[in-house]
Amino acid sequence: MKQNKSGQLPCCGGNFIALCICCLVLFFSNYTAQAEEVFVTVKRGTPATVPTSRYVLSAIFGMRLTTWPDGSAIRVFVLPDDNHTHSLFCKQILQIFPHQLRTAWDRLVYSGTGQAPEVLGSELELRTRIANTPGAIGYLTKENLDESVAILPVE
Amino acid sequence: MNQLPFSQLNNLSASLKCHVRHSQPMAIKALIYYLLFLPFGMQGKAFELFDSVQVHGFASQAMFLTSGNNMFGPSISNPGFDFTELGINGSWLPLPNLRLSMQILSRRDGAWSNGSPVLDFGLMDYSYNFTSDYRLGIRAGRVRQPYGLYNDTRDVAFTRPSILLPQSIYYEGTRDFTISADGLLAYGEIRKPWGNLNLELFGGYARTDNKETQYSFIQQTYYGTLASDPGFVGRLSYETYDGALRLALSGAYTSMRYKPNPSGDNLPRGNIGFDPILISAQYNTEKWTFSSEYSYNFFSNSGFGPPLDFSTNGESYYFQAAYRFAPKWELMGRYEAYYPNVDDESGKAFHQKYGQPAYTQFAKILTLGLRYDITPWMMVRAEYDYTNGTALLTPQSTLNAQTGNPDYFNTVQYWNTFGFLVSFRF
Repeated sequence: MKQNKSGQLPCCGGNFIALCICCLVLFFSNYTAQAEEVFVTVKRGTPATVPTSRYVLSAIFGMRLTTWPDGSAIRVFVLPDDNHTHSLFCKQILQIFPHQLRTAWDRLVYSGTGQAPEVLGSELELRTRIANTPGAIGYLTKENLDESVAILPVE
Repeated sequence: MNQLPFSQLNNLSASLKCHVRHSQPMAIKALIYYLLFLPFGMQGKAFELFDSVQVHGFASQAMFLTSGNNMFGPSISNPGFDFTELGINGSWLPLPNLRLSMQILSRRDGAWSNGSPVLDFGLMDYSYNFTSDYRLGIRAGRVRQPYGLYNDTRDVAFTRPSILLPQSIYYEGTRDFTISADGLLAYGEIRKPWGNLNLELFGGYARTDNKETQYSFIQQTYYGTLASDPGFVGRLSYETYDGALRLALSGAYTSMRYKPNPSGDNLPRGNIGFDPILISAQYNTEKWTFSSEYSYNFFSNSGFGPPLDFSTNGESYYFQAAYRFAPKWELMGRYEAYYPNVDDESGKAFHQKYGQPAYTQFAKILTLGLRYDITPWMMVRAEYDYTNGTALLTPQSTLNAQTGNPDYFNTVQYWNTFGFLVSFRF
C-alpha cells in the first residue's frame, strides 16, 4: 500500500495530503501505543473501594490474598504470560516480570497450597468476565475500559 | 445464588476454559474434569462447584547418556530412559478460606520404582486473613515439607532449574523422605510494603518405608522396615513483594527406627537421626536468576553396632545462575559440592577404615544447561554435567547384578553426564 501511495505522490496533491494524514495518524497511534496505560479493574460494587497498595495487589495477583475485606472470594483474571497487556500490567502496576508471577503460581498449584488465576484469551473476554463475576479483579488498557467495570485506584 | 440455568451454563463453560493454556485440547480437559469431579457434581449445585475447581498436570521424560557410572538405570555408552514423571492434581475451594487439594504421582527412577501411582499430597487447607496484611492457616493431611527454594514443586520439571534439582541439596536418594509427609502444618504470613514474611511449621511422620531411604541411611538391603518417629520441619522465609529477593532458613529434626523382620534379620533394632539446616537465597531480574543454598546436617546411627553405628556432620552447597537471553530460551550454569563428613572431605580416612574408594566421600559437580520453551505447556532441556566423586550417585544407579546391592567398587571417580528432557504441563 505504501509503495502504491508513494508511487502516486508526484502526480496527485490530494493523495499527498492523505498520505500526510495517514503518517500523522500512524505517528500518534504509535505514540499512544508507547504511552499505553493499564488499569486495575474490578466488578462494579466490589467491596474494595479504597485505593489499594502495590504490595496488596502483588499478594492478590500472586494468589496469596484470596479474600476481599468482607470475606468474600477474590476471583483473579489475567491474560497469557506472553500477552503484551499482561506484560505491561506486570511491569507498570506490580513492578515484577511475568516469569516471576508464573513461578509464584506454579509453586502454589503444584504443591497443593493454592490455585492459579484464570487465563483468558483477550481483553474483551477479560472485561466481560470481570463485569459478570462476583469478586472479580483483572486489568484493562484504557481503550478497552467501559462502564461495565470499575477502576481500582492504585496507591 | 439466583442464577438462571443459562448463566450457570455460561459459568460452566467459562470455568472449563479457564486454565487452558493456548492450544490445550479442550476435549481432554473437559473429560478430566468430568471424570474427576463427577462425584461432587452429583451432590447438586454442580455448576457452582465447578467455578472453584482446578485441575493441573505434568509429564516428563528424561534421557541420560553417561561415562563411567550409570544414572538411575544402565546409561553408559547407550542412552538410558529410566526416568519418567507423571502427575495430576486437583484443588477445590468449597469456601473462600477452605481448600482441598490432591496430587497423584507416577514416577520411574531406576530399578526400584515401577511407576505405580502414589498419593503425593492430599490435604485440607484452612486460612484466615485478619486484614490484607496478616494471614494464619493450617494444613492437614499429606503435605509438602517446607524446605528450601525447590522442595515444594520438585517433581515438576518446569519449576526446576535443571533436569534434576541440584543433588547437593535435593538428593534423589532421599526424595521420598524429603518431599511430603503426613501430619499438620501451621503457617503465618505478614505482608508489608517492605516484603512478605512467612513461617511454616510442620509436625508429623516422614515417608521412610521405601528402599531408597533405607539404602541412603543404612547402605544395604535388610529384611526389616524403617519407621518414622514424629519429626519437625520448619521454614522461615522472606520475599520482597515483587519476588526479586527471596531468602529462607529451613531446618528439620527427624528420627527413624529400624524394625527387624520378626522371622529373622541380620540387623538388630536401631535408630537413625538426620537433622539438616538449610540457608537459601535467590535474586531475580528480568533476564537473570541467581540462586544459592547451603546446608549443614547432623547424622547419627545408633543401636546397630559397628560398623553401622557412627555419627557425622555433612555439608553441601551450590551456586547457580540462569540467563534468559532470548524469549523462550534459558541458559544455566551451576557449581555444587557435597561432603557427607566434614572431618574427612578427601575421603582418605574413610578409605583406610573401610577399604571403599575415597571418592565415595565427596561429589563436586559442574553443570551447564539450555532450556527452550516451545510453547507455555511444552519444554525441552539439554544438559551436561562433569562430576568428580560418587557421593551423590543414587544407590539404584550402582546396583550389583549379583547381590542387588549398591556396589561402589564398580564406580569411577570422574564421569560425564549428558541429559535431555522433554516436559509437558497443563
